[in-house]
Amino acid sequence: MFLKKIFDYGKKEEQVIENIKKHLELLCNACDLFHSAMEENDKNLVGEVVDSERKGDSIRREIIANIYAGAFLPYLRPDLCRFAEIVDRVFDFLQETALNYLEVKLPEHIRDECVRVAFLNARMCEILLISFEAMLNGEDLREKALAIRIYEKRIDDMEFSIIRDLRQIPVDDFWQGRLLADFVSGITSISDAMEDAGDHLQIINVCMKS
Amino acid sequence: MKIDEFMTTRIASIDADLSAYDAIEKMVDRRIRSLLVKFKGTDSDHGVITARDIVFKVLAKGIDPTDIKVSSIAAKPIVCVNRDVTLAEASALMEKSHIARVFVCEGEKIVGVVSLLDIMTASLIMRARGEHVS
Repeated sequence: MFLKKIFDYGKKEEQVIENIKKHLELLCNACDLFHSAMEENDKNLVGEVVDSERKGDSIRREIIANIYAGAFLPYLRPDLCRFAEIVDRVFDFLQETALNYLEVKLPEHIRDECVRVAFLNARMCEILLISFEAMLNGEDLREKALAIRIYEKRIDDMEFSIIRDLRQIPVDDFWQGRLLADFVSGITSISDAMEDAGDHLQIINVCMKS
Repeated sequence: MKIDEFMTTRIASIDADLSAYDAIEKMVDRRIRSLLVKFKGTDSDHGVITARDIVFKVLAKGIDPTDIKVSSIAAKPIVCVNRDVTLAEASALMEKSHIARVFVCEGEKIVGVVSLLDIMTASLIMRARGEHVS
């Protein structure tokens, strides 16, 4: 492995790498679950998304604890911690959106678009995981970073048109409108945070090679 | 990769009876290059109007776009594919038919549209995933 070649690859480092991978796999699984929950309108799956967020929290704590316990060279530690925190932020957005999904009343045409955003989020997460694995193998991340940006741009475009449609929907009360706006904002923020994670991965990659 | 991952599901449309000016306004406003044209009558009667049609058939000929109806410059019928068609199959069809977009249909319902740019974008995603791009 690329990292092994560069660093004296100890047990702590190995554990951090394993945990970051586990963290990303869990995130991809949670994104898939949320997509299925929306597609099949199975609100029971939302509970599993919430469970995944909790598991993600404990993995993040373990990653940071190991880094603070001395894994990796000091100049790399803040970026690795930051990466784990960004992935955790994605989990937070996902959980918040999933919980809002339990309450929100989505008009059919908005629902279809949101299912599609959830699907693209899941596909984007796969690329994030592929990027991480590519980084471990010392591969160039250029194509992966571009793929992440493409997904993000696509979701951004969809958000723009969903919001334009949302403005035409009459709402009965303030809270119903707020819930709808929060849901759409949440589901489209997931990709923003994933893009941040992808960008940060590139920073880590550059740091490792310099 | 199947075509439905990269199709655009929000399809902007325009009534065939409206003017080319209305079509220009809609395309510029939404920053898109084509509109689905809906003809009166059956729900399945569709055409397509592109920026190319407007520029070559109207503006380049000095015709006032308010004087010409969308129906007279729209291409008809539209080219439809199934949603499980691959990107390679869709691009081959576009090349063969000399068109820049195909519509994705489920029976008589149009569920999306895939353009040349979508195909290029999808090919980049496939490269990133390590999938074969033909």
